Amino acid sequence: MTRMRVGLFVTCLVDLMRPSIGFAALRLLEAAGCEVVVPPAQTCCGQPGYNSGDQKAAKALALKVLQEFDGCDYVVLPSGSCAGMIRVHYPALFKDDPVVIESIKRLSARTYELTDFLVNVAKLQNIPGNYSGSLTYHDSCSGLREMGVQAQPRALLARMPDVKLTEMRESTTCCGFGGTFSVKFGEISTRMADNKCEHIAQTGAGAIVAGDLGCLMNIEGRLRRRGDLDTRVLHIAEVLAGDNGTCK
Amino acid sequence: MQVTAMHFKRKAGENLRNEKLQKALEKLQTKFVDGRAAAIAELPNFEEIRDAATDIRDKVIRNLDRYLLRFEQEATARGAVVHWAETADEVNRIVVEIAHQHGLHKVVKSKSMVSEECGLNDALESQGLDVLETDLGEYILQLAHEPPSHIVAPVVHKSKEEIADLFEEKHQRPRTTQIAELCREAREVLRPGFLSADLGISGANFIIAETGSVLIVTNEGNGRLATTLPRVHVAITGIEKVVPTLEDVSTLLRLLPRSATGQSITNYVSVLTGTKERGESDGPEHFHIILLDNGRSKLLGTELQPMLRCIRCGACMNHCPVYQNIGGHAYGWVYPGPMGSVLTPSFVGLENALDLPNASTFCGECAVVCPVKIPLPDLLRHLRTRQVERQLRPWQERAALRLWAWMAQRPAVYALGTRLAARLLRVFSGSAKRFHYLPGVTGWTSGRDMPAPAGRTFRDLYQSRRPS
Amino acid sequence: MSARENILARIGKARGPAAAVDVDLAIRRHQRGPIPPLENDLVKLFSERAIKLASDLAQAGTVAEVPNLIARYLRERDLPMKGVCWPAMAPLDWRGAGIEIEARAARGDDLVGVTGAFLGIAETGTLMLLSGAQTPATVSLLPETHIAVVEAGRIVATMEQAWDRLRVERGALPRAVNFISGPSRTADIEQTVTLGAHGPYRVLIIIVG
Repeated sequence: MTRMRVGLFVTCLVDLMRPSIGFAALRLLEAAGCEVVVPPAQTCCGQPGYNSGDQKAAKALALKVLQEFDGCDYVVLPSGSCAGMIRVHYPALFKDDPVVIESIKRLSARTYELTDFLVNVAKLQNIPGNYSGSLTYHDSCSGLREMGVQAQPRALLARMPDVKLTEMRESTTCCGFGGTFSVKFGEISTRMADNKCEHIAQTGAGAIVAGDLGCLMNIEGRLRRRGDLDTRVLHIAEVLAGDNGTCK
Repeated sequence: MQVTAMHFKRKAGENLRNEKLQKALEKLQTKFVDGRAAAIAELPNFEEIRDAATDIRDKVIRNLDRYLLRFEQEATARGAVVHWAETADEVNRIVVEIAHQHGLHKVVKSKSMVSEECGLNDALESQGLDVLETDLGEYILQLAHEPPSHIVAPVVHKSKEEIADLFEEKHQRPRTTQIAELCREAREVLRPGFLSADLGISGANFIIAETGSVLIVTNEGNGRLATTLPRVHVAITGIEKVVPTLEDVSTLLRLLPRSATGQSITNYVSVLTGTKERGESDGPEHFHIILLDNGRSKLLGTELQPMLRCIRCGACMNHCPVYQNIGGHAYGWVYPGPMGSVLTPSFVGLENALDLPNASTFCGECAVVCPVKIPLPDLLRHLRTRQVERQLRPWQERAALRLWAWMAQRPAVYALGTRLAARLLRVFSGSAKRFHYLPGVTGWTSGRDMPAPAGRTFRDLYQSRRPS
Repeated sequence: MSARENILARIGKARGPAAAVDVDLAIRRHQRGPIPPLENDLVKLFSERAIKLASDLAQAGTVAEVPNLIARYLRERDLPMKGVCWPAMAPLDWRGAGIEIEARAARGDDLVGVTGAFLGIAETGTLMLLSGAQTPATVSLLPETHIAVVEAGRIVATMEQAWDRLRVERGALPRAVNFISGPSRTADIEQTVTLGAHGPYRVLIIIVG
């Protein structure tokens, strides 16, 4: 049986801020039996420009991504928001472009968020990581509403015997990141992050886990400013692939 | 209404620090969010009904002129007078003319957001008419000289203590904070107004082309009183509110109250057609219907056309995490929350409401709950695109985005730049490995620490571990 | 050009070359939307839903029983034994029940109003009242207590069915069709629902037959 050839798009945030997430994703995909390629010229999916109203820049980056991941059966990202950009918004960007739209649609159709891919396509059975402790899960907005990611991370966590998952109140409420919103409307964003931190604290969990690094940075930033230096802030990939959440 | 949307950021900040408001806004979760969820759960075929409602609205929008003409024909045949107004000022002028024509002096008003667009009350009062708001929330606002902060629950921002203070001052009765007593007091104070008014002004939740009818949904009974007792009734509404048939309105009525207040139906649904019939003891002798454009027709044929589907339920703002934290007044005009962030720039000018389309994380919850599937985040993104096209964004923003896009298209430059940034930021973050302050992103660091990068980029590490 | 002409022109222009639909044809179809599944026992469904919306409910075998039923209801709540009613209800034995009734429109100080109902709608526990010379709307609106008598056989499942019945039995719409689903209420103060705003504080629905 030929292995699935999966292109891993680590995302610009992971590349710059927390490569361990990329390596965790890599480990998970390989554990699922995939042949993983990491196109070296990958940079950004174009979402920052797209959401700021610069359609031209977004299109240029989309075409670059299209070309880079051409030879892959699947494109997998450890981010609901970047995966959503490709799956949902690339086709919208090119809807009036008959030359490219079919290729874009094909790219979109084979693009997945990591946990969704592991559960529904690669059907990963044995979780490579070990984790012992209590955690709570934040449903990142794009992952949830654009990519349908909600049951998948929970299904994977359920297979880890020493993980105790406690659901927080309003787990599907936005944490306030929203890309440039977090800087442009800092006060509102901080309040939203603070509300999220309250809900996390109410669970008593030792760690907050999510599928998007933007959310995690925002939440971590507010936790530490509130004086909480103990609650761990982890990406779902790190929990699933790491040694107690740590992945090199 | 005067536009103060340009002060959005400042007002949002003030509202975040306003503890009374913050406490009041907590009610949105239980009453509106949970209420809607429970009401929707009662409809096993909710999504099917939602699709049908969306189709009905789209069908009308595609043929708006034809449906409006049919409405006008039917309404006129039943004795109503149909007026068309392009602007808010025209509406005010028409109402004043009607008042003069019939010798009217005392107005009772049932809630109308369109009349807020027009600043109708002020226009009437300056012409010497006596105007009494009768929707309890709007009446309270009238006493307090404040605009509404929500399109369905206008005084969601006020506590009962604040209302008690207001009533004590204005009614000169002993102060009470018992909600039932406050409501009874309002009933007693307002009833003489209903009975003595000669002009009743209302909005319309829908107008029905098939029958030339105006449909109003209320819970209090003030809508019925204001449109039954005075001898002249004026209904003002936006041109997009027309619905083809009584069947269509029945479909929409399955969604409007559930989405708005979590009710299966509002206490009163009034379908008003024409004037007092022969022998009737109540009902208006004259019925005027004013159809307002005020920028609506300009949305047709543009990317913003889906916004015209809106049935003014308020679900989007109830579920919006930004609105939930800052309330409605920060949005600076008649319509707050996600729908307001589309309508305000569209109606009062993009340049007068620059922050509104940007004050969103695109979480998407508004689009999830909209009963007529308006793709609000897409519309907001479109407005952001228009801002960029019209060069309304600050140069620093444009420059930063341009730099990012430039780099991202050049992998070698990108690799170098990110490697440098990762290393430098890591070094400067000290032992804490996070920043308490970072120039350029003070909007973030004023309220949150910024975690430092790991120090090396994924690309860098991957290449060193798995040289290709 | 008038505002009307300008607005219509703008709308027509925005539609562009796409053909306008024949709206008269579209309207004549009276196409219904999706209906939620409802149970078959309409009286039971109506009763349950009406009670849920804070109406009081009573059953009478015949319309002759109505005045005594109302008398008991009013006495139980210490309400005045006098009110107004629709002319059609005047011939009932009010005197025998101890109630002073006048067949006329309501005034601001009338406390009890008795009406019939054109139909009941089971889906939401709603009364459908039509305005008219013999059915003044004020009787269901101004008094603090509204009592509505509806025949069991005139309870339909949905609003769509109600419109069809109205078309068949009356032809055109009356000046006002009022759908009433319980006592007037407001939640404007702290989103706390309070019964009794500008309309009635209580609604008694008597199902006859």
